[in-house]
Amino acid sequence: MKEEQGDKHTKRYGMVIDLDKCTGCGACMVACYAENNVPFKKNETDKLDSLNWIRIFQLTNGRSYPDTEICYLPMPCQHCDGIGKHGHPPCVSVCPAIATDYDYSTGVVSQIPTRCFGCRYCMAACPYHARKFNWWDPVWPADTEKYLNPNVSARMRGVVEKCTFCFHRYQQARDKAYLEGRDEIYESEYQPACAQACPTNAITFGDLNNPDHAVYKLKNSPRAFRLLERLHTNPKVYYLSSKSWVRRAGDNYLENESRPESNRQKIHHK
Amino acid sequence: MKIDRRSFISLGVGVVAGTTLSPVPWKLMDDISIWTQNWPWTPAPKGGADSYKTSVCTLCPGGCGIQVRKIMDRAVKIDGLPEHPINQGKLCPLGLSGLQFLYGPSRVKSPMKRTGKRGEGKWQEISWDEAISAVTKKLKELREKDKPHSVAWVSGADKGTIPQLIGRFLTAYGSPNFIRPPSVHDAYELSAYLMQGQEGSVAFDIENSDHVLSFGTGMLQGWGSPVRMLNIYGEKRDSKKIVQIESRLSDTAAKADQWVPIKPGTEGALALGIAHVMIKESLYKKSFINKSAFGFEDWTDDNGTRHIGFKTLVLKDYDPEIVAEITSVPKSTIEKLARRFARANRPIAISGRGEGLLPGSLDECMAVHALNALVGNINKPGGVSVTSEPDYAKWPEVNIDKTASRGMQQPRIDGAGGSKYPNARYLLHRLPEVINDTKGESPVQALFVSEANPLYTLPDTKATKAAFDRIPFLVSFSSFMDETALYSDYILPNHIYLERYEDVPKPAGMVQPVIGLAKPVVKPVYNTRHVGDVVLQMAKSLGSFIEKAFPWKDYRAYLKTVFKDHWDQLEDKGFTEVKASEDKPWANRFNTATGKFEFYPSARKHPSKKDKDKDILPGFSPVPIEGKPDAYPLVLMPYDSIRLTSGNIGNPPFMTKTIDDTVLKDQTMFVEINPKTARKMGFFEGDRAVVTTPKGRAEVRLHLFDGIEPGVIAMPKGFGHTAYSKYLAGKGANFNSLIGPITDPMSGLNTAWGIRAKIVTA
Amino acid sequence: METTPLIPQGVKRCSKLQFSLWMAVAVAVLLWGVYAMYLVWFKGLNQTNMNDAYGFALWIWADLAVIALGGGAFFTGFLTYIIGKDKLKNIINYAVIIGFICYSSALLILAIDIGQPLRGWFIFWHANEHSMLTEVAFCLSCYFGVLTIEFLPTIFENPKLDKIPFLHHLSHNMHSIMAVFAATGVFLSFFHQGSLGGVAGVLFGRPFSYREGINVWPWTFFLFTWSAAACGPCFTILITWITEKLTRKKLVKDDVIQLLAKISGWMLATYIIAKIADTLYWAMVTAPSMGFNLMDFYTNNPVYGIWILILEIVICGIVPAAILITRKGRESKFLLMLAVVLAVVGVCVNRWVMVLQTLAVPVVPFEEWFMYAPSWQEVATTILPVAYGVIVISLAHRYLPVFPQERELNPSN
Repeated sequence: MKEEQGDKHTKRYGMVIDLDKCTGCGACMVACYAENNVPFKKNETDKLDSLNWIRIFQLTNGRSYPDTEICYLPMPCQHCDGIGKHGHPPCVSVCPAIATDYDYSTGVVSQIPTRCFGCRYCMAACPYHARKFNWWDPVWPADTEKYLNPNVSARMRGVVEKCTFCFHRYQQARDKAYLEGRDEIYESEYQPACAQACPTNAITFGDLNNPDHAVYKLKNSPRAFRLLERLHTNPKVYYLSSKSWVRRAGDNYLENESRPESNRQKIHHK
Repeated sequence: MKIDRRSFISLGVGVVAGTTLSPVPWKLMDDISIWTQNWPWTPAPKGGADSYKTSVCTLCPGGCGIQVRKIMDRAVKIDGLPEHPINQGKLCPLGLSGLQFLYGPSRVKSPMKRTGKRGEGKWQEISWDEAISAVTKKLKELREKDKPHSVAWVSGADKGTIPQLIGRFLTAYGSPNFIRPPSVHDAYELSAYLMQGQEGSVAFDIENSDHVLSFGTGMLQGWGSPVRMLNIYGEKRDSKKIVQIESRLSDTAAKADQWVPIKPGTEGALALGIAHVMIKESLYKKSFINKSAFGFEDWTDDNGTRHIGFKTLVLKDYDPEIVAEITSVPKSTIEKLARRFARANRPIAISGRGEGLLPGSLDECMAVHALNALVGNINKPGGVSVTSEPDYAKWPEVNIDKTASRGMQQPRIDGAGGSKYPNARYLLHRLPEVINDTKGESPVQALFVSEANPLYTLPDTKATKAAFDRIPFLVSFSSFMDETALYSDYILPNHIYLERYEDVPKPAGMVQPVIGLAKPVVKPVYNTRHVGDVVLQMAKSLGSFIEKAFPWKDYRAYLKTVFKDHWDQLEDKGFTEVKASEDKPWANRFNTATGKFEFYPSARKHPSKKDKDKDILPGFSPVPIEGKPDAYPLVLMPYDSIRLTSGNIGNPPFMTKTIDDTVLKDQTMFVEINPKTARKMGFFEGDRAVVTTPKGRAEVRLHLFDGIEPGVIAMPKGFGHTAYSKYLAGKGANFNSLIGPITDPMSGLNTAWGIRAKIVTA
Repeated sequence: METTPLIPQGVKRCSKLQFSLWMAVAVAVLLWGVYAMYLVWFKGLNQTNMNDAYGFALWIWADLAVIALGGGAFFTGFLTYIIGKDKLKNIINYAVIIGFICYSSALLILAIDIGQPLRGWFIFWHANEHSMLTEVAFCLSCYFGVLTIEFLPTIFENPKLDKIPFLHHLSHNMHSIMAVFAATGVFLSFFHQGSLGGVAGVLFGRPFSYREGINVWPWTFFLFTWSAAACGPCFTILITWITEKLTRKKLVKDDVIQLLAKISGWMLATYIIAKIADTLYWAMVTAPSMGFNLMDFYTNNPVYGIWILILEIVICGIVPAAILITRKGRESKFLLMLAVVLAVVGVCVNRWVMVLQTLAVPVVPFEEWFMYAPSWQEVATTILPVAYGVIVISLAHRYLPVFPQERELNPSN
């Protein structure tokens, strides 16, 4: 059993992104920049030198006009549970300075920029390129420094950063619940900026362990798949697509190898 | 000195211990690392009291409700307002980037007077008093010369209290030249006026429709109220079928249930082909046609002249076989499209390309609208309806003097509403042509521009610039250093939407009559002033009857008067529903001469005065595009991306950051080309090339894209800025510099949808 | 009063002028590297051509390569002090110096490579014991200390320093306990060489480098130690040969070289068998289970063809091993040198692919191969240690009694 679904106290926050709904508008990316104090440069066209905690990929079915199809796929950090029992994403155990951590109470993979000394081993470990390096000193021109969010620290040059599922929002929601004497925080209280902004509601976020949360059901949809499941990274970001070519594009297969839909089901349910 | 093993070891231990116990190296190491965690050049945002202010986003006409998170007096985040009926808490990338406009590098920080050459960027900061007196001095001067009509004002919108204030100002001053930039709604409104006799904005009830037949409308790329459309797509995806007819696999086409590729520019023919199948197979709504339509069947007028009706025309000229030839859509597809459309419960057909900044062909719009009539879904839930303007902004008539009256009687400079184009309201795209064609003094002596950037958005940038060079007095009210502001003589910077009050009219295409109120969420960051207040101050400075026409203390007082009963709710919630007094959107009321829906619009006037039935009925005649095929073998089309603004608001850095590296690489943009076409011409992915059209040239790279028809190339609109900041200027080329306007002889609207082009290796 | 010469007695050294010119060239190259280092430290890693796909690049390769090549020190030390191959005492000093240069270079490159050099010590202070890199850092630093201790007596044997009684005795005492240090060095080296292999081998998100293994140690852990032990001495032989050529005299007797070459040969032979087995298992079991065919790693890109695997295993593995384990091969000067060069290239290619090809291979199916070429700043800072090594070796050779057999082999006329 890969997922400890029985434990009620352990939350496993995760995301389900409906690719049938995603139109590639980019609102998730911009909401993330604005929420998380992500800086910008004059030239952001080198996508491997561009801080994006969530990035939209355009997939095509590879067929020629007029049988071409495209599909947009937003890719945040997958918040992997990792190989074996959860808690061992590819990036966490490799960090020599415990600057990235797997939070057992939420399943969120965090990053502490002030602890990180920039060895970039985690970036080499992550197959999704979810981790981004601050190659440059961040600069906020004119008065743009004024819009910085005080809940998220600005990262200095020379450290790694990544999507945190807007963990500061979880902390705020938890504090609020505590003040109100609640044990549980409501599903709607903790939503990352991208899910909040998504104009087509393609992004659903919640506790994968909680049957009351929308993601709980959605992740078991026959349309569901995850990226690179065969690596056993065990991501907490699920994708939905009604197109089989899209589902197949989520992983690597040998030639003539069929996508084992049944295997996937096995992984999820037992 | 002799050292034995013992003293050797004790020495070693001593050295190690001594260093370790000395705090200096450890303290230093620690301090240095703490310093790296707090580099003074890496900002540390200050905390403080948290608050939320609600308002409305006016960066596009979408009218989304927003809530702005503030920490003390700083605005730190814009989110959608959950309870707002248009966007329900969601927001588009532009709205989310709002604070980059507020605090960003392209703001004009104070009134300014040009000191260098036009466009050189040399400015002198002046006071507001100086700025207003400089402008009114010019206005007085022109009135004294009896030329008030040589003043023109380009306003980004014509609905809402600010445009009305500007219009009133022009009327009092004596100029008929209030001009709004073109949009697809010009064509919608004109079609509705001609076929239904109703004046007002056209609404498409896509929420309640179950079959959307879109003739290239960029429904998911910024058309209408963008977040409303995206919301519908996400929420009601399963309850409707979307068919996208377009020659490029756009984002909308990609997300549609069916993509019907078509030869560009032939969409109108396809609509008529579909009508043919529906009529031939008797799939149209007879109850509506028989009872409420005119001009469907052949008819005889009062003079006894026999006229052909829509049915005869369509059955004769638009056989699917012929239409397949014109459009390259197979006959069987046309038939299937027609049958599915006709059999749907609440089908709706929409015309208009992309985001909708181009009016397009009136005939095409009417042909598509005829489809809606054939299924009888006019003024019905899930259909098309016309809502008249709410009547909340009515004031007493302005008393004007003789000079003003003479000025007002002059024909509009753009020719709209005149003898040549009687049905058009504004024809901004004609302005450069009119100015450039006039010998001697320019008909425009002073041009005011607010919430618009014609030097960037008008087709044929070169001609527009030449025309502007002939206008002696240019004033921009832009909040940003856009192309037009950079070229002006004076800039009187407006507050941006987060610093000002402004009512937000019902967004284009919406049925629900939602009125929003943008409110100042922060104090003005720079020395800017509300354009409404500036207009009032200009009126005051001009004095006499003009001053009297504006009896309000300031813009806010005026706004409060306008909204009377609605004000409290607007202030509180940020939106309200204001209905026109007797507005029943679903009422089957046609104000045409026949009182019916007119397939044969009797109000349609042809300037040649020799109206033929075929010219009056919605038909298809190919819109010729500029350029000869032998010199320019390819067809260049623009496309709209929701991640790239192409109107008067320049793309914010955040949105530019989201743009794919197959659209922009470094400072060069990509032109999409089918791999087959590229292969034939010897081009590979990423190759540098020069695109040349009869109007201009641009250095580009090529992106091989299977989703575009061979022989057609496409480029995004929104690049090629020369103003704003380094985060936008100099990236890619402006599509408008590669295309010229093509004026529809019937309507006056700009119908250019593309231009012929060639590509050579750079 | 008679002045003690700086240069050891009974050996011939080049003229001061010649030496100065030689050093000037090396220092010029060094300064170029130092300038690049300055740029990287003050402007940041944007001076490199690394990016989010290439978090590891030329520098990490250089680190892995110099540590593998510096493996001559620990393995020769192991053979000399622990196995008791006394003959190798005639080359151990040089092996230690080369190791010292390699390890100090590795540390310097690491200090340039990390984004926040001033926080580099966090790796010790906030150590994560699960990380291979932590193990590398600890062992590397400790072993560098060991190498320094091993190097010191040789320095103290400089005639001038030797005159100082304190240093004279210190040196003597250190010599007598050298076996302890050598053993410590072997222990540390086994772990950090292995951990460096583990760095790539544990990446279960990277099908190109991921390997199964025993407990927490992937097969690459053992392969790296093994290959360092095999190829490190080859590098020692190569540098000795180059030194001999440059100084135009024999410094180490052939039987010493032959012995080391023979042991290296057998190490290399066994290593390459293990490597082939590992490659086969990876190609047939590990990678396919992740959805990859062997050829997926070697096609659809402009650089990495199957040639690189053949180069590493056949040309730079089987061939040198075959040469070195046969007496005829070893005894032919040409074949011997060919073999050590191939072995050195082989281990460098291995480290290259384990770092750079690992990152080049697209794992997300809709991504393309990632290609990389270093910036001049990266190249300069990588050449910097070479210049530094040349300088240290030149100084060591000129002023220290590095080669015990030098006097015997070059009797003064």
